[in-house]
Amino acid sequence: MNARRAQLHLGVGACALSLLMIFWIIPVYVSSPSNVGNVILSPLFWPYTLAGLTGLTGLGLLATRVLLPADDAPLNDPIDDAPQAWLRLVVIAAIMLGAMLLMSRLGMVWTAMLCFAATAFLVRTRHPKAAVVCAIVIPLALYAFFAHVAGVAIPQGEVIRLP
Amino acid sequence: MNFKTLVTAGFVAASLATPALAEYPERPINMVIPYGAGGATDISARTIAEPLGDAVGKPLIMANVTGAGGATGSVAVQNAKPDGYTMLFARVGSHSVNPAMKETLPYTLDDFRFVTVYEINPVACAVSPNSGITSMEDLIAKVDEGGVAYSSSGVGSLLHLAAVMVLKEFGVENPLEQATHIPQKGGGAAATAVLNGTATFLCTNSSAVASFVANGQLIPLMVTTPEPIVGFDAPTAADLEKPALHQLVGWTGIAGPAGLPDDVAAKWGEWMAAATQDEGFLDKMTARGSVIELMNPEDANAFIQGQYETFRALVDELGMRIQG
Amino acid sequence: MSFLDSILAGLTVVGNIEAFLALGIGVTIGVIGGAIPGMSATMAVALTLPFTFSMQPITGILLLLGVYKGGIFGGSIPAILIKTPGTPASSATILDGYPMAEKGEAGRALGMALWASCTADVVSNLSLILFAGWLASFALSFGPPEFFTLILFSLTIIAGVSGDSLLKGALSALLGLMLATIGLDLVYGTNRFTFGDPNLMGGLNFIAVLIGLFAIPEVIAMVWHPTAHVGKARSLGKNWVSFADYRRSFRSIIRGSLIGVFLGSIPGIGAAPSAFLSYSEARRRSKYKENFGKGEVEGVAASEAGNNGVAGATLIPLLALGVPGDVITAIIIGAFMIHGLQPGPMMFILNVDIIYGLFIGLIVSSVFLFFIGSVAIKGFKYVADVPRRLLVPGVLVLCIYGVFAVNNNIFDVGVMFAMGWVGYVMMRYQVPAAPFLIAFILGPLLEDNFRQSMLMSGSDPSILLRGPITWFFWTVTVITIVAIIRAGFRATRRKPVADKG
Repeated sequence: MNARRAQLHLGVGACALSLLMIFWIIPVYVSSPSNVGNVILSPLFWPYTLAGLTGLTGLGLLATRVLLPADDAPLNDPIDDAPQAWLRLVVIAAIMLGAMLLMSRLGMVWTAMLCFAATAFLVRTRHPKAAVVCAIVIPLALYAFFAHVAGVAIPQGEVIRLP
Repeated sequence: MNFKTLVTAGFVAASLATPALAEYPERPINMVIPYGAGGATDISARTIAEPLGDAVGKPLIMANVTGAGGATGSVAVQNAKPDGYTMLFARVGSHSVNPAMKETLPYTLDDFRFVTVYEINPVACAVSPNSGITSMEDLIAKVDEGGVAYSSSGVGSLLHLAAVMVLKEFGVENPLEQATHIPQKGGGAAATAVLNGTATFLCTNSSAVASFVANGQLIPLMVTTPEPIVGFDAPTAADLEKPALHQLVGWTGIAGPAGLPDDVAAKWGEWMAAATQDEGFLDKMTARGSVIELMNPEDANAFIQGQYETFRALVDELGMRIQG
Repeated sequence: MSFLDSILAGLTVVGNIEAFLALGIGVTIGVIGGAIPGMSATMAVALTLPFTFSMQPITGILLLLGVYKGGIFGGSIPAILIKTPGTPASSATILDGYPMAEKGEAGRALGMALWASCTADVVSNLSLILFAGWLASFALSFGPPEFFTLILFSLTIIAGVSGDSLLKGALSALLGLMLATIGLDLVYGTNRFTFGDPNLMGGLNFIAVLIGLFAIPEVIAMVWHPTAHVGKARSLGKNWVSFADYRRSFRSIIRGSLIGVFLGSIPGIGAAPSAFLSYSEARRRSKYKENFGKGEVEGVAASEAGNNGVAGATLIPLLALGVPGDVITAIIIGAFMIHGLQPGPMMFILNVDIIYGLFIGLIVSSVFLFFIGSVAIKGFKYVADVPRRLLVPGVLVLCIYGVFAVNNNIFDVGVMFAMGWVGYVMMRYQVPAAPFLIAFILGPLLEDNFRQSMLMSGSDPSILLRGPITWFFWTVTVITIVAIIRAGFRATRRKPVADKG
């Protein structure tokens, strides 16, 4: 992906977002009372303005694309294992999703431990033993601090309750 | 659903859950404060937490869950298990003004069981000295001339409704048309708006404007309680012969989810009775202008329901209800 | 009472060991609290408040002020070391602080953050003492129209933090403005983009967005390319800020401090916009313009001066008017009231000893901050030596706890994750994140003040030109925009040559 291509994506994305907002999201998900006296006071005024400006910015990005150098210099550092990298992204997304689902059932501490371990091994840490120790100690230490020093009601699951 | 069914629902839930709750409380209790740190609800909650914690015998964990005029925190408790381990500091804004004004609110009064109301905050109306207004009569005369604005801490806040209700009581036919509402973000900003001339007056908890009144930055026009308030050189609603305004007071109470068992509610009644006897608590609260008035669960429910209905009638009459 | 008498009266209330001890403890708590993302200066102050109830009024208030000042500095430590601002005010510090840490200059960045913070603190305190009365009357002449023009001007900061492409910066800012519209409408109280979820009614939590946008993309980038960092120096090393660095950045520090004093004395703006404004001004005027965003020590100095300059100045509206400028001062006002003190004009007459005691305490607090900050940097420096692939999961877990703690809501953790992916895509496309953040902070202020102005005037736009303050901001806004456009054209003409490589 060189600079021109990236700007093409951004421009098209911004225009698409703008149209999506104007024709679907704003009319459906912003409610405006019927007794609005003046259009500039309406709750719809600001979102429509922003959506319009986004569209203009998108067109601007498309138009100024030709000013960028046309060489093949990639925008980001290349990596050697692209398919696996995509897979890793899917896994980290799954970890985040899993954490959200588990947190209310398992409690924050146990979820954080799993999260730590999974992420550390996902990035192939060179210190697996330290990673396991940290995965246990750090969430516990953070729990102790937030729950007992800062007095935050850290969510606890039904399984094992910490004092 | 009315109060009776509420009690029945609570009773059914209690009969199902009683064995597990034999020694309530057996662990710390989460107390949700639906407003931000430093606000009236927060200070009140943290002041009662000290003596209340002693009475409960287990730690109380205070959690501020703010957003949407108290709705975010209220929803968190509404959806919590009715086991008495998640309780809410309910406030006039979140539990009588909001339900009266907002159709889209994700909860109603029936979703909660109130175990107590322990604090009443008188409401005072005040103007800036630069406005040249010194009495309610002056203010009403100004409203008839036009160009009067009032500030509030947001749509559907006590301040919003209070200003409208006061104007209405003093004979302004249609307060929504004749005076302009300029909502602000938060109570502090609302008072500042009157100080810098953005708005003409505001009606809010007396504690929120006490220091401005003491410093001569704001002039109080009236207070809504039958008795005068220390430091406020202004007539009471009784003096002005507007007894209907006695309903217009702020309050703080404690509520649980609708299915809260009876024995839990009863325990809270005992704890609150002990906690509100505490000397330090009483001193701090009265110094801030609050009136400590402990209500048992039944009285609290009746009080809130009564205030809600007064507000609801006004909202419906003026067409203030927010839809969508 | 003469000035000297007032100072003596002040000394009698603070001239005891407890007052200074409280100040020291306060700064320590603040630095540590500020350095833990999610704790933030606000929460540290809120947690300390109950302990002050039983103290002498002045001791208690000094404790809180110490926490406040320490917290604003402390936030820069994780901003530099792990790209996670400990306090919203330190988000501008990331822009150059984190690249410096990447280059192995974390020590230099932290040192400069401390020196700039302390300098700005002194300037801010002196302004409070000398100009409190004057600045306070100024603050009260800021109504919605004046705010609207000030914020419109502040939005021009976006150009200063957009990096190479102004259009990408604008896109980023528009996304921020759009996400900031989620929640209840200010004027009508109706739902906007809440999709029926009560958690969205309060809008997106600012800290969740902030951490999601800066810290989480680092985690995802590490997952995408786990060995990208290998071979890059990252340890704190022996490097430390030099006096030459300080002298070089001195103008930016003073400018930043004054911006902080100005914005701090107006209630309702806060420290984050001040830091960004100071940063973008420094970048505009600096001789080392090209290095900004790539690890320029002057950038760190400017943003830290901008946020600490606010700390003393927010006490101006607090003491002189009784009006809190932000959440933290709102909590501190609570402490005054608990002790039966009512901040406002009368306090300068009734409680001269307390006022001057506070002034003396504040001056001393800058010294405390300098020493305690130095110790803290030494303590935290080991973070830079932790292996990256252990640090990153640690940051992830810390962010989960921290973001939850801000508002006790698991939903906010989800917001953080979602914003992390937005931030990662922006990172891949080299869309700068800072404009997003500035727009997210300023957007609601802009819209609200605009609509409040329209309510005041009955939709007559001429209110936006109602006085000298609005004229001033309109003028500087126009001048800045013209300058930005001219610079933009010049850059485009040079681009084919400049952009190679």
